[in-house]
Amino acid sequence: MAGLNRREFLAGAAAELSLAGCSRRPAGMAAGRERLVSVLRQPDYNQELYGELRRLLVQHRLPLRGKRVLLKPNLVEFEPSSPINTHPLLVHAALEAFRAMGAEVSIGEGPGHRRNTLDLAEAAGYFETIPHFEDLFTDLNLDQVTEVRLARPHSRLQSIYLAQRALSCDLLVSMPKMKTHHWVGATLSMKNLFGTVSGGVYGWPKNILHCAGIPGCIADLYHALPRHFAIVDGIVGMEGNGPIQGTPKRSGVVVAGRDLAAVDASCCQIMSIDPRRIEYLKLAVGDVEALAESIHQIGEPLDIVRTRFNLLPEWSRIRLS
Amino acid sequence: MVSLLASQNPDGGWPYQRGGPSWTEPTAYALLALMAQGSVAEAVAKGLRWLDTAQLPDGGWPPQPEVRQSAWVTAVAALLGPAALGVECYLRGIGWIVEQTGEESKFLSRVRQFLTGVSRGDPGWPWFPGTSAWVTPTALSMLALRKAARRTGSAQIRARLDLGASYLLAHACRDGGWNHGAARVLDYDARSYPETTGVALLALDGDHAAAVAKACAWARAQLPQCRASEAESWLRLGLLAHGQLRADAPAPVRPPRTIQNAALALLASAAAAGRNAFLE
Repeated sequence: MAGLNRREFLAGAAAELSLAGCSRRPAGMAAGRERLVSVLRQPDYNQELYGELRRLLVQHRLPLRGKRVLLKPNLVEFEPSSPINTHPLLVHAALEAFRAMGAEVSIGEGPGHRRNTLDLAEAAGYFETIPHFEDLFTDLNLDQVTEVRLARPHSRLQSIYLAQRALSCDLLVSMPKMKTHHWVGATLSMKNLFGTVSGGVYGWPKNILHCAGIPGCIADLYHALPRHFAIVDGIVGMEGNGPIQGTPKRSGVVVAGRDLAAVDASCCQIMSIDPRRIEYLKLAVGDVEALAESIHQIGEPLDIVRTRFNLLPEWSRIRLS
Repeated sequence: MVSLLASQNPDGGWPYQRGGPSWTEPTAYALLALMAQGSVAEAVAKGLRWLDTAQLPDGGWPPQPEVRQSAWVTAVAALLGPAALGVECYLRGIGWIVEQTGEESKFLSRVRQFLTGVSRGDPGWPWFPGTSAWVTPTALSMLALRKAARRTGSAQIRARLDLGASYLLAHACRDGGWNHGAARVLDYDARSYPETTGVALLALDGDHAAAVAKACAWARAQLPQCRASEAESWLRLGLLAHGQLRADAPAPVRPPRTIQNAALALLASAAAAGRNAFLE
């Protein structure tokens, strides 16, 4: 529990216990404690992240000793100057934090447009920042695949081929960039699961997810990969025409939690987006209002960190009023 | 080439990463590269047996034996030709490719395009059946069919090649090259990628459209800035096809990080030495 004092530990434990009385549980969600969401104020990518993430994991009381944890950042394009990819320092801080909790940690990603995943990671600074990165990394697009049958699909898919590494880990940690998205409004920890779908099977882009309905596919992956955790890079996000051609948006937060839908709903509120108007959240959990009410948030209050992400005119309807 | 041979799996196929399971794409590219070197008959024979076993009853190949659906990799396998694959196996593969079109080319989609006034252009090829056409599978399918057309003279194949070329020309980005196939997204111009520009140029071998000359200029400018081996290889292959790879062009410098990228680098070198396995 490096970096965590007794008072912080007790505060986290108390926060968890306080969730026991939550009465409304959205569809597809487990019991209360999974809706704990942390909002850390983090103005920049610096060494403080290492201690902050360790404290965060302790607060969430994840049983990590001996577990296989897969960190899944968002790698999109060869543009190191743009906030398009998850920052490597955040990924390294998460790696160290999970290791400190006794987990066996690896990193994996399967980008949607570009095939050269390791080259993308190198351009994004991952080789420089994370020692032995190549040994830790799996290209999820080229990993062994398993066909997963979707029990109650929200999309038109009946089954989907997913990377074995993502299916076999004990905890999949979705680490997206906080961005607006021209097809679904906002891309956060749930949409980031697209990177577990095999590009080697479906190609670049993974157009089958578009044809089957993007919001429904996001909801399907959320349910197909249930052992998850989210750490969202909102230190510098992207607004406007995201997820590729938008502009940097400094919001200075890291948002984390055990339930991706709860984390994404909180991120939406930080971005001044109404989570009730995000289709994939509605499909995944049913009652988004109930989801939002059931979130027990710790750290910075949302009102304090809320910032206005510019939206394309087509998406003005999702603005939080 | 030594590294390529050492990466072959005991089952005869090649993985993307050494030690991984065999996939169709790296197996086909490894075989093309080894055959372009004209030796190592035993490794080639084992690889071809793996491909023969992997072919599905519909004539196509799945990306990986775990997958129960023929897909885009059929074009890569078909590049090996009838002498390597066997005539029957090869023709079934070509037949599968000819039958594929992007979902937007199907009747209902065309009706929708007619009603909305939004045309998606001529039919290209999808990565996966039931989805839309994109640049890379269209270019790879054209390369496979171009070889087949030279052998069979089929009018049906030539017609598909013409449509494929139209698809590519209609999907060029404003900056001159190609990306994955979405030149504009919500009225915004998208940028080209070097790897897709290279493979599209290779597929448009012999095409003298103004757009091709513009793409060659973009490709020449990109070559020194490539940040991936795959991009370097495809750009070199594409420029070579149009006689546009200058003698003073930079040598490849990026490390191939997958087996198929190592094979592509060998194929680009062989093409520079006068033996282009994609076009001969």
